[in-house]
Amino acid sequence: MQSTSFSRLESRYFYAFAAACAMVAGIGYLASHYMEEHGHIVTGMNNTIVWGMPHVFAIFMIVAASGVLNVASIGSVFGKAVYKARAPLSGLLCIGLLAGGLMVLMLDLGRPDRFIVAATHYNPTSVFAWNVLLYSGMFSLVAIYLWTLLEKRFNSWSKPAGLMVFAWRFILTTGTGLIFAFLVARQAYGSALLPPMFIVLSFAWGLAVFLLAQAAIYAWNRETLDPAILKRMRNLLGVFIIGALYLVAAYHLTNLYFAKQTGFERFILVDGGTYPWLFWAGYVVFGSLLPLLLIYHPSLGKTRSVVAASLLVIIGSLALLYVFIIGGQAYPLAIFPGFEASSSFGDGQIAAYKPSLPEFLLGIGGIGVALLITTVGVRVFNMLPHDAALPQGVHGETH
Amino acid sequence: MTQLALIIDLNVCVGCSACVTSCKEWNTSGPAGPLSDRNPYDADPTGTFFNRVQTFEVGEFPQTETVHFPKSCLHCEDPPCVPVCPTGASYKRKEDGIVLVDYDKCIGCKYCSWACPYGAREIDEQQKVMKKCTLCVDRIYSTTLPEADRRPSCVMACPTSARLFGDIHDPDSVVSRAIRENGGYALMPEWGTQPANHYLPRRKTSITIHKDQLVRADNPLKIDGKLPKPAKQEPTLDDVTSW
Repeated sequence: MQSTSFSRLESRYFYAFAAACAMVAGIGYLASHYMEEHGHIVTGMNNTIVWGMPHVFAIFMIVAASGVLNVASIGSVFGKAVYKARAPLSGLLCIGLLAGGLMVLMLDLGRPDRFIVAATHYNPTSVFAWNVLLYSGMFSLVAIYLWTLLEKRFNSWSKPAGLMVFAWRFILTTGTGLIFAFLVARQAYGSALLPPMFIVLSFAWGLAVFLLAQAAIYAWNRETLDPAILKRMRNLLGVFIIGALYLVAAYHLTNLYFAKQTGFERFILVDGGTYPWLFWAGYVVFGSLLPLLLIYHPSLGKTRSVVAASLLVIIGSLALLYVFIIGGQAYPLAIFPGFEASSSFGDGQIAAYKPSLPEFLLGIGGIGVALLITTVGVRVFNMLPHDAALPQGVHGETH
Repeated sequence: MTQLALIIDLNVCVGCSACVTSCKEWNTSGPAGPLSDRNPYDADPTGTFFNRVQTFEVGEFPQTETVHFPKSCLHCEDPPCVPVCPTGASYKRKEDGIVLVDYDKCIGCKYCSWACPYGAREIDEQQKVMKKCTLCVDRIYSTTLPEADRRPSCVMACPTSARLFGDIHDPDSVVSRAIRENGGYALMPEWGTQPANHYLPRRKTSITIHKDQLVRADNPLKIDGKLPKPAKQEPTLDDVTSW
């Protein structure tokens, strides 16, 4: 880590970019302050849709934070040199995304001021409380892992630390999936398939975020990524996208097999208005098939295509989460199966949700926090991947 | 263990929503309040209500009938909203089985709302904590009220006495007898949550009337047999005398 690559960074640009990220984060904070002052009454959320747009952003960032660590795991646990060189950046991105996601999650609570209550009153039977432990544990473990990577004296500890992080990230994403898997009464959830689905989704989303960050850092430093490395990582993204598509398809096909779930699937996939559009156009076409084309088409697959594919994967992931979280709440509970119930409170009807601007700004604010942490971290800790040190022709081999 | 509950007779409920409004009135001004509203007098009103009447039709036209189904928290004996609460703000009282929310411990994560299969949880959009039916816990134990008034507000307000209140674990209570003798059932027992609140089903009362029952059988003139037997079409004594 003695490289002086970052000395070429133009300070002015760095400070301008960091200030822009801070401003986005600040706007997010102001939006949450507005919602805190006025209550959820000023958001699009209501008694039926209790988790809205901020949760879409928060869950994306938390799942991607786990997935982005794949790069570090492949390096530290499986000993691939190309990935090992990228492990510090991977760890930093994980901390940034986790911080951004958790900030959004906390500020979207009804009472974020009661954070201390959440910390001091712990209900061991709550999957939500388990996640509080999993998130804080992830922060600590990744910080230790980064320390072993950056401090030469502790380099030999990076493998056991990497193993711990590797195991923890699986448990963390399992915990995120379980938040939904434990919901037996709602048609969209309550499936044991959800934790593995979230894990595979995290692979694709995390790697997409990593590739974007890596491309930005290389472009900033006017360096070019070795085409062999680009190809390797690009192909990995392709495999992850296919894996994610497979599990999402398995989830929906399983639901379709159960007669009592077909109404919900029909709503999500065919006649639910915004939701089928977001699912088919947003996630399947733009978020999966188009990135696959950009990755695997013989005449494409260069840096620009990979950047575009990564961006599309991220957009697709937000579309999928919108359908999964908000669509799942919008479909009414089957309290009177076979009957059409109504009331003056909208019971038995498809719930309406229109995201409000503050909700959206809070979500974007979380991304601002993640970007700020990454930008400052990359500069302070000099985390540009150093492939030049690798012997020629051994990309990807153990060292 | 005591398990207080509401028993709602769907055979008698007319869907007037008096229980909804009386619940709102009592609780919005009590310790459970305020139950915030948004645009209460506009086209698109929303608000926090502990009790709601849902309506659905049964049968095929023209053989249909409308069922009004009041629903609030069912105070499940194994409530799914309690174990999921990260801070333990949702809890079930040991002494009477009422499921309550400690507003001071609720962080407003709304996860209990996801876990409740009955949609009974309500977010107070102003106070930003989760709320639900308390079985008027501040009323049923109030020593400032006359004994007869120590019942949930909705029970007091029901004009047809469709709502009963009591301990379903006491086999001799009014509510236990009502469940036992009138086919009382719990909503969605398949979830295994054992809702304490029960519903009495719609019931049809029918009797068989034979032809001879339409003819007056106790006419003393007929028993005597000495007097001329009036024809069926002729007026009876009831028609021609003042007694």
